[in-house]
Amino acid sequence: MHIPDGILPAPVCIGGYALAAPLLGYALRKINRMPDVTEQIPKASLLTAAFFIASSIHIPIPPASVHLVLNGLLGAVLGYFAVPAIAIGLFLQAVMFGHGGLTTLGVNTVLMGFPALVAAWVFRLRHRFGRLGARRADLLFAFLAGAIGLGLAALIFFGLILATIPGGLDAQAERVAVYGLVASHIPLALIEGVFTAMLVGFLRRVKPELLQDPTRSDPSALQPAGQPSKKSTGGRAA
Amino acid sequence: MRLVMDEFAHLDSPIHRWEPRCKLLGLVTLMFAFAFVERGWLVPVVLAIALSLYGLSRLPLSFLRSRLRYPGYFLLGVVALLPFCSGQTVLWQLGPVVLRQEGLSAMLLIAGRFLAIVTTGFILLGTTPFLTLVAALRSLGLPPVLADMTLLTYRYLFDLAETLATMKLAMRLRGFGQVPSGDRHRGFSIPFLPRRTDLGNLSALAGTLLIRSYEQSERVYKAMRLRGYGYTPRSGAAPVAQPKTPFSTLDLASMMGLAGAVALAIALLGLGFVPVSFGVPQLTHLLSFR
Repeated sequence: MHIPDGILPAPVCIGGYALAAPLLGYALRKINRMPDVTEQIPKASLLTAAFFIASSIHIPIPPASVHLVLNGLLGAVLGYFAVPAIAIGLFLQAVMFGHGGLTTLGVNTVLMGFPALVAAWVFRLRHRFGRLGARRADLLFAFLAGAIGLGLAALIFFGLILATIPGGLDAQAERVAVYGLVASHIPLALIEGVFTAMLVGFLRRVKPELLQDPTRSDPSALQPAGQPSKKSTGGRAA
Repeated sequence: MRLVMDEFAHLDSPIHRWEPRCKLLGLVTLMFAFAFVERGWLVPVVLAIALSLYGLSRLPLSFLRSRLRYPGYFLLGVVALLPFCSGQTVLWQLGPVVLRQEGLSAMLLIAGRFLAIVTTGFILLGTTPFLTLVAALRSLGLPPVLADMTLLTYRYLFDLAETLATMKLAMRLRGFGQVPSGDRHRGFSIPFLPRRTDLGNLSALAGTLLIRSYEQSERVYKAMRLRGYGYTPRSGAAPVAQPKTPFSTLDLASMMGLAGAVALAIALLGLGFVPVSFGVPQLTHLLSFR
Protein backbone atom coordinates (compact mmCIF):
# COMPACT_ATOMS: atom_id res chain seq x y z
CA MET A 1 0.00 0.00 0.00
CA HIS A 2 2.65 2.47 -1.04
CA ILE A 3 1.82 5.12 -3.57
CA PRO A 4 4.54 5.19 -6.24
CA ASP A 5 6.06 8.29 -7.81
CA GLY A 6 4.28 10.06 -10.60
CA ILE A 7 0.69 9.14 -9.74
CA LEU A 8 -0.18 11.95 -7.41
CA PRO A 9 -0.14 15.56 -8.55
CA ALA A 10 2.82 17.45 -7.11
CA PRO A 11 0.77 19.64 -4.72
CA VAL A 12 -0.49 16.45 -3.04
CA CYS A 13 3.10 15.16 -2.69
CA ILE A 14 4.16 18.44 -1.13
CA GLY A 15 1.06 18.44 1.05
CA GLY A 16 2.07 14.94 2.17
CA TYR A 17 5.45 16.25 3.30
CA ALA A 18 3.73 19.20 4.94
CA LEU A 19 1.59 16.79 6.98
CA ALA A 20 4.36 14.26 7.60
CA ALA A 21 6.68 16.89 9.08
CA PRO A 22 4.41 17.85 12.01
CA LEU A 23 3.49 14.19 12.53
CA LEU A 24 7.17 13.27 12.77
CA GLY A 25 7.90 16.37 14.81
CA TYR A 26 5.16 15.47 17.28
CA ALA A 27 6.44 11.90 17.63
CA LEU A 28 10.06 13.06 17.96
CA ARG A 29 9.10 15.58 20.63
CA LYS A 30 7.41 12.84 22.62
CA ILE A 31 10.43 10.59 22.07
CA ASN A 32 12.92 13.23 23.17
CA ARG A 33 10.98 13.65 26.39
CA MET A 34 11.52 10.00 27.30
CA PRO A 35 13.80 9.47 30.27
CA ASP A 36 16.39 7.38 28.37
CA VAL A 37 16.24 8.15 24.67
CA THR A 38 19.67 6.76 23.84
CA GLU A 39 18.68 3.41 25.26
CA GLN A 40 15.46 3.34 23.26
CA ILE A 41 17.02 4.18 19.90
CA PRO A 42 18.80 0.84 19.30
CA LYS A 43 15.70 -1.04 20.45
CA ALA A 44 13.40 0.92 18.20
CA SER A 45 15.84 0.58 15.30
CA LEU A 46 16.24 -3.17 15.55
CA LEU A 47 12.51 -3.60 15.93
CA THR A 48 12.03 -1.38 12.87
CA ALA A 49 14.33 -3.68 10.94
CA ALA A 50 12.47 -6.71 12.28
CA PHE A 51 9.10 -5.26 11.25
CA PHE A 52 10.48 -4.44 7.84
CA ILE A 53 11.59 -8.04 7.43
CA ALA A 54 8.46 -9.51 9.04
CA SER A 55 6.19 -7.70 6.61
CA SER A 56 7.61 -10.01 3.92
CA ILE A 57 5.97 -13.01 5.62
CA HIS A 58 3.11 -14.21 3.46
CA ILE A 59 -0.04 -15.58 5.00
CA PRO A 60 -1.45 -18.42 2.90
CA ILE A 61 -5.11 -17.89 2.08
CA PRO A 62 -5.99 -21.04 0.19
CA PRO A 63 -5.92 -19.98 -3.47
CA ALA A 64 -3.45 -17.13 -2.90
CA SER A 65 -1.53 -15.40 -0.14
CA VAL A 66 -1.37 -11.93 1.32
CA HIS A 67 1.42 -10.13 3.04
CA LEU A 68 0.78 -8.13 6.14
CA VAL A 69 1.23 -4.42 6.59
CA LEU A 70 1.83 -4.64 10.35
CA ASN A 71 1.51 -0.90 10.95
CA GLY A 72 -1.04 -1.50 13.73
CA LEU A 73 1.31 -3.92 15.45
CA LEU A 74 4.14 -1.43 14.98
CA GLY A 75 2.08 1.20 16.78
CA ALA A 76 1.17 -1.23 19.55
CA VAL A 77 4.76 -2.33 20.20
CA LEU A 78 6.72 0.84 19.44
CA GLY A 79 4.33 3.58 20.55
CA TYR A 80 5.56 6.98 19.35
CA PHE A 81 8.61 5.36 17.80
CA ALA A 82 6.25 3.86 15.22
CA VAL A 83 6.14 7.12 13.23
CA PRO A 84 9.91 7.48 12.67
CA ALA A 85 10.07 3.70 12.21
CA ILE A 86 7.53 3.90 9.40
CA ALA A 87 9.22 6.90 7.79
CA ILE A 88 12.54 5.03 7.85
CA GLY A 89 11.01 1.77 6.67
CA LEU A 90 9.37 3.53 3.74
CA PHE A 91 12.55 5.41 2.91
CA LEU A 92 14.52 2.17 2.87
CA GLN A 93 11.88 0.45 0.76
CA ALA A 94 11.93 3.29 -1.74
CA VAL A 95 15.71 3.30 -1.79
CA MET A 96 16.27 -0.45 -1.96
CA PHE A 97 13.41 -1.83 -4.02
CA GLY A 98 11.57 1.12 -5.50
CA HIS A 99 8.41 0.30 -3.49
CA GLY A 100 6.75 3.64 -2.95
CA GLY A 101 8.87 6.59 -3.95
CA LEU A 102 10.84 9.56 -2.78
CA THR A 103 8.42 12.26 -3.89
CA THR A 104 5.55 10.35 -2.28
CA LEU A 105 7.47 9.54 0.91
CA GLY A 106 5.59 12.24 2.83
CA VAL A 107 2.18 11.02 1.68
CA ASN A 108 3.06 7.41 2.44
CA THR A 109 4.42 8.32 5.88
CA VAL A 110 1.13 9.99 6.78
CA LEU A 111 -0.86 7.17 5.20
CA MET A 112 0.84 4.49 7.30
CA GLY A 113 2.14 6.52 10.24
CA PHE A 114 -1.05 8.23 11.32
CA PRO A 115 -2.99 4.93 11.56
CA ALA A 116 -0.03 3.45 13.47
CA LEU A 117 -0.22 6.32 15.94
CA VAL A 118 -3.97 5.77 16.32
CA ALA A 119 -3.28 2.06 16.84
CA ALA A 120 -0.73 2.96 19.53
CA TRP A 121 -3.35 5.06 21.35
CA VAL A 122 -5.96 2.34 20.98
CA PHE A 123 -3.60 -0.30 22.30
CA ARG A 124 -2.80 1.89 25.27
CA LEU A 125 -6.49 2.01 26.18
CA ARG A 126 -6.19 -1.60 27.33
CA HIS A 127 -4.94 -0.39 30.70
CA ARG A 128 -8.31 1.20 31.31
CA PHE A 129 -10.15 -2.03 30.76
CA GLY A 130 -8.50 -3.98 33.53
CA ARG A 131 -11.77 -5.52 34.55
CA LEU A 132 -11.79 -7.56 31.34
CA GLY A 133 -8.72 -9.33 32.67
CA ALA A 134 -5.26 -8.30 31.53
CA ARG A 135 -4.94 -11.05 28.94
CA ARG A 136 -8.31 -10.53 27.37
CA ALA A 137 -7.84 -6.76 27.32
CA ASP A 138 -4.42 -7.14 25.71
CA LEU A 139 -5.72 -9.45 22.99
CA LEU A 140 -8.85 -7.42 22.30
CA PHE A 141 -6.99 -4.16 21.99
CA ALA A 142 -4.25 -5.78 19.94
CA PHE A 143 -6.93 -6.98 17.53
CA LEU A 144 -8.41 -3.49 17.37
CA ALA A 145 -4.98 -1.91 16.88
CA GLY A 146 -4.14 -4.28 14.02
CA ALA A 147 -7.50 -3.91 12.31
CA ILE A 148 -7.60 -0.13 12.71
CA GLY A 149 -4.00 0.23 11.54
CA LEU A 150 -4.72 -1.46 8.23
CA GLY A 151 -8.32 -0.29 7.86
CA LEU A 152 -7.53 3.38 8.35
CA ALA A 153 -4.52 3.19 6.02
CA ALA A 154 -6.68 1.55 3.34
CA LEU A 155 -9.34 4.24 3.71
CA ILE A 156 -6.82 7.06 3.34
CA PHE A 157 -5.12 5.28 0.44
CA PHE A 158 -8.26 4.75 -1.63
CA GLY A 159 -9.58 8.16 -0.74
CA LEU A 160 -6.40 9.73 -2.04
CA ILE A 161 -6.22 7.63 -5.19
CA LEU A 162 -9.82 8.32 -6.13
CA ALA A 163 -9.64 12.00 -5.26
CA THR A 164 -6.59 12.57 -7.41
CA ILE A 165 -6.94 10.22 -10.38
CA PRO A 166 -7.87 12.50 -13.24
CA GLY A 167 -11.50 13.10 -13.88
CA GLY A 168 -13.92 11.72 -16.40
CA LEU A 169 -14.98 8.85 -14.17
CA ASP A 170 -18.62 9.37 -13.40
CA ALA A 171 -19.64 9.76 -9.78
CA GLN A 172 -21.64 6.56 -9.73
CA ALA A 173 -18.69 4.43 -10.91
CA GLU A 174 -16.46 6.20 -8.44
CA ARG A 175 -18.77 5.44 -5.54
CA VAL A 176 -19.05 1.79 -6.55
CA ALA A 177 -15.26 1.59 -6.79
CA VAL A 178 -14.81 3.12 -3.33
CA TYR A 179 -17.34 0.77 -1.74
CA GLY A 180 -15.86 -2.23 -3.52
CA LEU A 181 -12.31 -1.44 -2.53
CA VAL A 182 -13.23 -0.68 1.06
CA ALA A 183 -15.28 -3.88 1.29
CA SER A 184 -12.40 -5.92 -0.08
CA HIS A 185 -10.18 -4.58 2.67
CA ILE A 186 -12.51 -5.51 5.53
CA PRO A 187 -11.43 -9.18 5.55
CA LEU A 188 -7.80 -8.10 5.24
CA ALA A 189 -8.21 -5.79 8.23
CA LEU A 190 -9.76 -8.66 10.19
CA ILE A 191 -6.87 -10.98 9.28
CA GLU A 192 -4.40 -8.29 10.27
CA GLY A 193 -6.27 -7.83 13.56
CA VAL A 194 -6.30 -11.55 14.34
CA PHE A 195 -2.62 -11.84 13.44
CA THR A 196 -1.76 -8.86 15.66
CA ALA A 197 -3.74 -10.33 18.55
CA MET A 198 -2.02 -13.69 18.13
CA LEU A 199 1.38 -12.06 18.00
CA VAL A 200 0.66 -9.98 21.08
CA GLY A 201 -0.52 -13.15 22.82
CA PHE A 202 2.77 -14.80 21.85
CA LEU A 203 4.83 -11.85 23.09
CA ARG A 204 2.85 -11.80 26.33
CA ARG A 205 3.83 -15.38 27.01
CA VAL A 206 7.43 -15.20 25.88
CA LYS A 207 8.73 -11.65 26.29
CA PRO A 208 6.21 -9.45 28.10
CA GLU A 209 8.57 -6.48 28.48
CA LEU A 210 8.37 -5.90 24.73
CA LEU A 211 4.80 -4.75 25.25
CA GLN A 212 5.69 -2.20 27.89
CA ASP A 213 5.29 1.35 26.82
CA PRO A 214 8.63 3.17 26.69
CA THR A 215 6.95 6.58 26.49
CA ARG A 216 5.59 6.25 29.99
CA SER A 217 8.09 7.99 32.17
CA ASP A 218 6.44 6.99 35.44
CA PRO A 219 7.64 3.45 36.14
CA SER A 220 4.74 2.79 38.49
CA ALA A 221 2.40 3.29 35.56
CA LEU A 222 4.05 0.43 33.74
CA GLN A 223 2.00 -2.67 33.97
CA PRO A 224 4.06 -5.84 33.74
CA ALA A 225 2.16 -7.18 30.80
CA GLY A 226 2.77 -10.80 31.67
CA GLN A 227 0.95 -10.52 34.99
CA PRO A 228 -2.64 -9.67 35.73
CA SER A 229 -3.11 -6.06 36.67
CA LYS A 230 -3.57 -5.25 40.33
CA LYS A 231 -6.96 -3.74 39.67
CA SER A 232 -8.31 -6.69 37.79
CA THR A 233 -9.69 -9.59 39.70
CA GLY A 234 -10.26 -12.10 36.98
CA GLY A 235 -6.98 -11.74 35.06
CA ARG A 236 -5.75 -15.00 33.66
CA ALA A 237 -2.12 -14.64 32.79
CA ALA A 238 -0.83 -17.25 30.43
CA MET B 1 13.74 -10.07 -1.24
CA ARG B 2 17.01 -8.81 -2.59
CA LEU B 3 18.91 -6.72 -0.11
CA VAL B 4 21.70 -5.33 -2.22
CA MET B 5 22.77 -1.71 -2.21
CA ASP B 6 25.75 0.33 -3.26
CA GLU B 7 26.40 -2.10 -6.12
CA PHE B 8 27.45 0.61 -8.54
CA ALA B 9 28.44 3.34 -6.11
CA HIS B 10 32.11 2.72 -6.84
CA LEU B 11 31.89 3.62 -10.54
CA ASP B 12 33.39 6.87 -11.75
CA SER B 13 31.26 9.44 -13.54
CA PRO B 14 30.46 13.14 -13.21
CA ILE B 15 27.35 12.20 -11.23
CA HIS B 16 29.38 9.97 -8.91
CA ARG B 17 31.81 12.82 -8.30
CA TRP B 18 29.06 15.37 -7.66
CA GLU B 19 29.26 16.49 -4.02
CA PRO B 20 26.59 14.45 -2.16
CA ARG B 21 24.67 17.37 -0.65
CA CYS B 22 24.56 19.27 -3.94
CA LYS B 23 23.57 16.07 -5.75
CA LEU B 24 20.81 15.30 -3.23
CA LEU B 25 19.35 18.80 -3.43
CA GLY B 26 19.72 19.06 -7.20
CA LEU B 27 18.20 15.69 -8.08
CA VAL B 28 15.37 15.92 -5.53
CA THR B 29 14.49 19.38 -6.87
CA LEU B 30 14.36 17.89 -10.36
CA MET B 31 12.18 14.99 -9.15
CA PHE B 32 9.66 17.42 -7.71
CA ALA B 33 9.73 19.51 -10.87
CA PHE B 34 8.94 16.32 -12.82
CA ALA B 35 6.06 15.64 -10.45
CA PHE B 36 4.65 19.07 -11.32
CA VAL B 37 4.42 18.23 -15.03
CA GLU B 38 0.79 18.36 -16.09
CA ARG B 39 1.10 18.92 -19.84
CA GLY B 40 1.53 16.02 -22.19
CA TRP B 41 4.12 17.66 -24.42
CA LEU B 42 6.48 18.08 -21.45
CA VAL B 43 6.59 14.32 -20.84
CA PRO B 44 9.15 13.58 -23.61
CA VAL B 45 11.19 16.54 -22.34
CA VAL B 46 11.42 15.28 -18.77
CA LEU B 47 12.06 11.73 -19.97
CA ALA B 48 14.91 13.03 -22.12
CA ILE B 49 16.37 14.91 -19.14
CA ALA B 50 16.13 11.87 -16.89
CA LEU B 51 17.60 9.51 -19.44
CA SER B 52 20.48 11.80 -20.34
CA LEU B 53 21.31 12.14 -16.65
CA TYR B 54 21.20 8.35 -16.44
CA GLY B 55 23.57 8.11 -19.39
CA LEU B 56 25.87 10.61 -17.72
CA SER B 57 25.92 8.53 -14.55
CA ARG B 58 27.29 5.48 -16.45
CA LEU B 59 25.06 3.14 -14.48
CA PRO B 60 24.33 -0.03 -16.45
CA LEU B 61 20.87 -0.30 -17.99
CA SER B 62 20.33 -3.63 -16.24
CA PHE B 63 20.33 -1.76 -12.92
CA LEU B 64 17.44 0.44 -14.01
CA ARG B 65 15.60 -2.47 -15.60
CA SER B 66 15.77 -4.66 -12.51
CA ARG B 67 14.78 -1.79 -10.22
CA LEU B 68 11.87 -0.73 -12.40
CA ARG B 69 10.22 -4.13 -12.52
CA TYR B 70 8.27 -4.13 -9.27
CA PRO B 71 7.11 -0.49 -9.19
CA GLY B 72 6.32 -0.80 -12.90
CA TYR B 73 3.85 -3.63 -12.30
CA PHE B 74 2.26 -1.72 -9.47
CA LEU B 75 1.86 1.37 -11.60
CA LEU B 76 0.39 -0.66 -14.45
CA GLY B 77 -2.14 -2.11 -12.04
CA VAL B 78 -3.20 1.37 -11.01
CA VAL B 79 -3.40 3.08 -14.39
CA ALA B 80 -4.10 0.28 -16.88
CA LEU B 81 -7.86 0.76 -16.69
CA LEU B 82 -7.76 4.52 -17.20
CA PRO B 83 -7.94 4.57 -21.03
CA PHE B 84 -11.01 2.33 -20.92
CA CYS B 85 -13.10 4.02 -18.27
CA SER B 86 -12.04 7.64 -18.00
CA GLY B 87 -13.09 10.41 -20.40
CA GLN B 88 -15.83 11.17 -22.92
CA THR B 89 -14.03 11.29 -26.27
CA VAL B 90 -14.10 7.85 -27.84
CA LEU B 91 -11.02 7.04 -29.93
CA TRP B 92 -11.76 3.46 -30.82
CA GLN B 93 -14.44 0.98 -30.00
CA LEU B 94 -14.74 -2.77 -30.28
CA GLY B 95 -17.88 -4.18 -28.75
CA PRO B 96 -17.96 -3.19 -25.08
CA VAL B 97 -14.29 -2.15 -25.13
CA VAL B 98 -13.99 1.61 -25.58
CA LEU B 99 -10.68 3.41 -25.79
CA ARG B 100 -11.07 6.96 -24.51
CA GLN B 101 -8.82 9.88 -25.25
CA GLU B 102 -8.74 11.60 -21.85
CA GLY B 103 -7.95 8.36 -20.05
CA LEU B 104 -5.22 7.49 -22.55
CA SER B 105 -3.49 10.85 -22.24
CA ALA B 106 -3.79 10.69 -18.43
CA MET B 107 -2.19 7.26 -18.48
CA LEU B 108 0.67 8.42 -20.70
CA LEU B 109 1.21 11.43 -18.46
CA ILE B 110 1.29 9.40 -15.26
CA ALA B 111 3.52 6.70 -16.74
CA GLY B 112 5.92 9.31 -18.17
CA ARG B 113 6.16 11.24 -14.91
CA PHE B 114 6.66 8.00 -13.03
CA LEU B 115 9.49 6.88 -15.31
CA ALA B 116 11.26 10.24 -15.13
CA ILE B 117 10.99 10.56 -11.34
CA VAL B 118 11.96 6.96 -10.61
CA THR B 119 14.91 7.05 -12.99
CA THR B 120 16.21 10.23 -11.34
CA GLY B 121 15.74 8.63 -7.92
CA PHE B 122 17.74 5.60 -8.98
CA ILE B 123 20.50 7.85 -10.32
CA LEU B 124 20.74 9.45 -6.87
CA LEU B 125 20.75 6.12 -5.05
CA GLY B 126 22.86 4.24 -7.55
CA THR B 127 25.70 6.75 -7.51
CA THR B 128 25.81 7.57 -3.79
CA PRO B 129 26.82 5.07 -1.10
CA PHE B 130 23.98 4.75 1.41
CA LEU B 131 26.06 5.96 4.35
CA THR B 132 27.12 9.06 2.42
CA LEU B 133 23.49 9.73 1.59
CA VAL B 134 22.44 9.60 5.24
CA ALA B 135 25.39 11.78 6.21
CA ALA B 136 24.32 14.30 3.57
CA LEU B 137 20.73 14.22 4.87
CA ARG B 138 22.00 14.68 8.41
CA SER B 139 24.04 17.71 7.46
CA LEU B 140 21.00 19.13 5.69
CA GLY B 141 19.02 19.05 8.93
CA LEU B 142 17.67 15.52 9.43
CA PRO B 143 17.00 15.13 13.20
CA PRO B 144 19.69 13.05 14.95
CA VAL B 145 17.20 10.47 16.23
CA LEU B 146 16.08 9.77 12.66
CA ALA B 147 19.64 9.58 11.35
CA ASP B 148 20.73 7.19 14.12
CA MET B 149 17.65 5.03 13.63
CA THR B 150 18.11 4.93 9.85
CA LEU B 151 21.72 3.80 10.14
CA LEU B 152 21.02 1.19 12.81
CA THR B 153 17.98 -0.14 10.97
CA TYR B 154 20.00 -0.40 7.78
CA ARG B 155 22.86 -2.11 9.61
CA TYR B 156 20.66 -4.83 11.12
CA LEU B 157 18.30 -5.32 8.20
CA PHE B 158 20.65 -7.78 6.53
CA ASP B 159 21.22 -9.69 9.79
CA LEU B 160 17.54 -10.03 10.47
CA ALA B 161 16.71 -11.00 6.91
CA GLU B 162 19.17 -13.86 7.30
CA THR B 163 17.66 -14.82 10.65
CA LEU B 164 14.19 -14.92 9.14
CA ALA B 165 15.38 -17.00 6.19
CA THR B 166 16.94 -19.50 8.60
CA MET B 167 13.80 -19.67 10.72
CA LYS B 168 11.60 -20.13 7.65
CA LEU B 169 13.81 -22.95 6.44
CA ALA B 170 13.59 -24.57 9.87
CA MET B 171 9.80 -24.30 9.74
CA ARG B 172 9.69 -25.89 6.30
CA LEU B 173 11.98 -28.70 7.39
CA ARG B 174 9.55 -29.43 10.18
CA GLY B 175 6.76 -29.70 7.66
CA PHE B 176 5.18 -26.24 7.49
CA GLY B 177 3.47 -25.70 4.16
CA GLN B 178 4.68 -29.03 2.79
CA VAL B 179 1.71 -31.33 3.28
CA PRO B 180 -1.23 -30.85 0.88
CA SER B 181 -3.90 -28.90 2.65
CA GLY B 182 -6.65 -31.52 2.91
CA ASP B 183 -5.18 -34.10 5.22
CA ARG B 184 -3.29 -31.93 7.63
CA HIS B 185 -6.07 -30.53 9.73
CA ARG B 186 -9.32 -31.67 11.04
CA GLY B 187 -11.80 -29.33 9.45
CA PHE B 188 -11.24 -25.57 9.10
CA SER B 189 -9.98 -25.18 5.59
CA ILE B 190 -12.36 -22.71 4.02
CA PRO B 191 -11.33 -21.01 0.79
CA PHE B 192 -10.31 -17.34 1.17
CA LEU B 193 -9.74 -17.80 4.89
CA PRO B 194 -6.35 -18.40 6.43
CA ARG B 195 -6.10 -21.46 8.67
CA ARG B 196 -5.92 -20.75 12.35
CA THR B 197 -2.85 -22.96 12.80
CA ASP B 198 -1.07 -21.22 9.92
CA LEU B 199 -1.79 -17.84 11.43
CA GLY B 200 -0.64 -19.09 14.83
CA ASN B 201 2.61 -20.49 13.44
CA LEU B 202 3.35 -17.40 11.37
CA SER B 203 2.57 -15.05 14.25
CA ALA B 204 4.98 -17.07 16.38
CA LEU B 205 7.55 -16.75 13.59
CA ALA B 206 7.13 -12.97 13.42
CA GLY B 207 7.08 -12.78 17.23
CA THR B 208 10.30 -14.77 17.50
CA LEU B 209 11.91 -12.43 15.01
CA LEU B 210 10.84 -9.42 17.11
CA ILE B 211 12.12 -11.03 20.31
CA ARG B 212 15.44 -11.93 18.76
CA SER B 213 15.89 -8.42 17.45
CA TYR B 214 14.92 -6.98 20.83
CA GLU B 215 17.43 -9.16 22.65
CA GLN B 216 20.08 -8.32 20.10
CA SER B 217 19.34 -4.63 20.54
CA GLU B 218 20.14 -4.91 24.24
CA ARG B 219 23.56 -6.34 23.42
CA VAL B 220 24.10 -3.75 20.68
CA TYR B 221 23.17 -0.95 23.05
CA LYS B 222 25.65 -2.15 25.68
CA ALA B 223 28.41 -2.35 23.08
CA MET B 224 27.55 1.11 21.75
CA ARG B 225 27.42 2.51 25.25
CA LEU B 226 30.89 1.14 26.01
CA ARG B 227 32.19 2.94 22.95
CA GLY B 228 30.75 6.22 24.12
CA TYR B 229 27.34 6.36 22.46
CA GLY B 230 25.18 9.08 23.95
CA TYR B 231 28.02 11.05 25.53
CA THR B 232 28.57 13.72 22.90
CA PRO B 233 26.25 16.68 23.15
CA ARG B 234 23.69 15.67 20.55
CA SER B 235 22.88 19.13 19.31
CA GLY B 236 26.51 20.15 18.82
CA ALA B 237 27.68 16.94 17.18
CA ALA B 238 29.54 17.48 13.95
CA PRO B 239 27.16 16.26 11.24
CA VAL B 240 29.60 15.15 8.63
CA ALA B 241 33.24 14.51 9.40
CA GLN B 242 34.81 15.94 6.30
CA PRO B 243 38.35 17.24 6.27
CA LYS B 244 38.51 20.93 5.51
CA THR B 245 39.95 21.34 2.07
CA PRO B 246 40.36 24.47 0.04
CA PHE B 247 37.62 25.30 -2.43
CA SER B 248 38.37 23.14 -5.45
CA THR B 249 37.20 22.97 -9.03
CA LEU B 250 35.14 19.93 -8.00
CA ASP B 251 33.25 22.06 -5.47
CA LEU B 252 32.72 24.71 -8.09
CA ALA B 253 31.45 22.12 -10.57
CA SER B 254 29.15 20.68 -7.86
CA MET B 255 27.68 24.08 -7.12
CA MET B 256 27.23 24.75 -10.81
CA GLY B 257 25.55 21.39 -11.19
CA LEU B 258 23.16 22.23 -8.38
CA ALA B 259 22.46 25.66 -9.89
CA GLY B 260 21.85 24.01 -13.27
CA ALA B 261 19.44 21.49 -11.80
CA VAL B 262 17.50 24.19 -9.97
CA ALA B 263 17.39 26.36 -13.11
CA LEU B 264 16.12 23.39 -15.10
CA ALA B 265 13.45 22.72 -12.48
CA ILE B 266 12.31 26.35 -12.55
CA ALA B 267 12.26 26.28 -16.35
CA LEU B 268 10.09 23.14 -16.27
CA LEU B 269 7.69 24.73 -13.79
CA GLY B 270 7.47 27.83 -15.96
CA LEU B 271 6.89 25.79 -19.12
CA GLY B 272 4.03 24.06 -17.36
CA PHE B 273 2.06 27.30 -17.61
CA VAL B 274 2.86 28.06 -21.25
CA PRO B 275 -0.08 27.21 -23.47
CA VAL B 276 1.00 25.08 -26.40
CA SER B 277 0.31 26.49 -29.82
CA PHE B 278 3.00 24.99 -31.99
CA GLY B 279 3.41 21.68 -33.74
CA VAL B 280 0.65 19.47 -35.04
CA PRO B 281 -2.58 20.73 -33.49
CA GLN B 282 -4.15 17.26 -33.44
CA LEU B 283 -1.18 15.78 -31.64
CA THR B 284 -0.87 18.53 -29.06
CA HIS B 285 -4.57 18.30 -28.46
CA LEU B 286 -4.23 14.59 -27.87
CA LEU B 287 -1.28 14.98 -25.56
CA SER B 288 -2.36 18.03 -23.61
CA PHE B 289 -4.00 16.84 -20.47
CA ARG B 290 -6.52 19.27 -18.96
